Amino acid sequence: MENDKIKSRREFIRGGARISLALAMGGIAGFAAAGISREKWVWQIDPFECTQCGRCATECVLTPSAVKCVHAFDLCGYCDLCGGYLKPNSNALSTAGENQLCPTSAISRKFIEEPYFEYIINENLCIGCGKCVKGCTSFGNGSLHLQIMHNLCVNCNQCAIARSCPSNAIRRVKASEAYLVKGDFTKD
Amino acid sequence: MLTGLSVIILMWWVNYDPTRDFTQSLPGMDNRGSGGVGDTVDIGTLFDRYADDYTPLTETWPRFRGEHFDNISRSGIPLLAKFGSSGPDVRWSVELGEGHSGAAIYEGLVYVLDYHEEERADFLRCFSLTTGKEQWRRGYNVHVKRNHGMSRTVPAVTDSFIVTMGPRCHVMCLDRLTGDFRWGIDIEKEYRSEVPLWYTGQCPLIDGNVAVLATGGTALMIGVDLLTGRKIWETPNPRGWKMSHSSIIPFTFDGRRMYVYSASGGIAGIAADGPEAGKVLWETEAWNKQVVAPSPVCMPDGKIFITAGYGSGSMVLHLTPSGDKFDVEMLYEYKPSGGLACEQQTPLFWEGHLFGILPKDGGPLRNQLVCVNPSDTRKIVWASGSEKRFGLGPYFMADNKIYLLNEEGTLFILQPSSSGYKELDQAKVIADGHDAWAPLALADGYLVARDSKTMICINLRK
Repeated sequence: MENDKIKSRREFIRGGARISLALAMGGIAGFAAAGISREKWVWQIDPFECTQCGRCATECVLTPSAVKCVHAFDLCGYCDLCGGYLKPNSNALSTAGENQLCPTSAISRKFIEEPYFEYIINENLCIGCGKCVKGCTSFGNGSLHLQIMHNLCVNCNQCAIARSCPSNAIRRVKASEAYLVKGDFTKD
Repeated sequence: MLTGLSVIILMWWVNYDPTRDFTQSLPGMDNRGSGGVGDTVDIGTLFDRYADDYTPLTETWPRFRGEHFDNISRSGIPLLAKFGSSGPDVRWSVELGEGHSGAAIYEGLVYVLDYHEEERADFLRCFSLTTGKEQWRRGYNVHVKRNHGMSRTVPAVTDSFIVTMGPRCHVMCLDRLTGDFRWGIDIEKEYRSEVPLWYTGQCPLIDGNVAVLATGGTALMIGVDLLTGRKIWETPNPRGWKMSHSSIIPFTFDGRRMYVYSASGGIAGIAADGPEAGKVLWETEAWNKQVVAPSPVCMPDGKIFITAGYGSGSMVLHLTPSGDKFDVEMLYEYKPSGGLACEQQTPLFWEGHLFGILPKDGGPLRNQLVCVNPSDTRKIVWASGSEKRFGLGPYFMADNKIYLLNEEGTLFILQPSSSGYKELDQAKVIADGHDAWAPLALADGYLVARDSKTMICINLRK
């Protein structure tokens, strides 16, 4: 009777351990399966809501910001007088530093043929201030716009820029469709 | 050892250049081309006649901003205040080359400058106002590439003549009815002018028997005899002002007729008649903007309101007679968000108030129609509201109504008022409208409008 009682206790402990192990393994497998099947979400800027306030450059936890200017070439007018490249009423339509709107000279321009010029963003120099975007949106086709670059973004649980964005232009999007690039993405 | 280490650190510090990765941004790094003068263009050599069966009518809209240069029709024909249940009565539509050139109308015929990409030619095209049937076209081969549109000027028309100004500054004078070529001027070649960015926007002026053109380059402005093409006078351009998109506006102040022109570089008043014709009566470089599209608004008290886009804003000048010339005083200027400012269209001056659409950089009121009092154009009397934004679309007045076409091709009918925005009706008149920036034209109750590719005629008669 005493032996049966001891045996029963041992079996009880063994059984409990087996169940705990099975539950743990099942949980891990369940979490892994959920991780595979559930879509990851990341932060992104809706370019049609962005008001180019400049906070993307200053509020991001990274320095320089994970926000960069991108260029939708198919929307660009390739103008000589580019509102995104040149300061308003600059003294010449030239590449001279004093005429450039970008504070870090992150935009280079290249003559293609009369009267067209191509504008290329140097992502390493861009700080995401949005000055070029404001100029392009005000005077041009709006082909320059800001995006959060996911090779840089650390995907904070609560994005510091989203928290301070005055126009609520930053929202979660599916990681599989992580960019809202103008031209591909249009506002209805 | 410590001393040696200190010396090494000092040497490193002295030789370290924290700016070694810096590069200079200098002019010419874009490898810009020389932009030389183009090929010789034989103006007026192409001609096709298609029909001569139009219905003659009586009224005209003979040039940019109409008969009186104010964009206000004096026609007595009652016009629609509402489109009614059947919608707007669109009589015809015609496909055009991409551009923003508006129409002129003369007694039943519509004249519009159009660039034909396949034929690589500028054409002055003549249509019947009532049917849209093309009557004839006259033009010349010239190479123009798309650059936010191509043609963008309104012809000037009289009973006998038509004068056009093409995208690359080619001036063509024709017989109005037959389309016969009279004379032509290649302004870029003859005056070493610079073709404005996005091509010519200046609409030519006919004043009596003289075609008046702002050339920039070696002359600021010229007067050309309509009959012969001979230059009657040329205004020197010692400061090298450039041709802008703005058009010359005639103005009479203190008994003196003058042509007011807002160039890229400054603004001037040029004597319009008498032995002093072509002489500078006043000028100022206080207004010096890179791109100027709207024309000056000259008011009876000698005030001149000038405005431009691309961050320029506006300025108000005041003329005072001084002997046989005028003194010009800059009263004030401001940024686009500081009051009435316009990027493309010229404001309306009606019953002592100015009406215009603010540009995209116009602050919270951007793209809204606003009304100001010329006594202080910085104070907005009323704005159309955040739900009523119109972009770069044209507007004009007729039958005591404002007709405003937004850039997507919706026509608004408004009750002009200095007390508030009053909308009577609206209707989409150009399906899938895009960049409807061309000035409107109205004659005999028919409104001619266009977007970047389609010209339409709407019957607005009640």
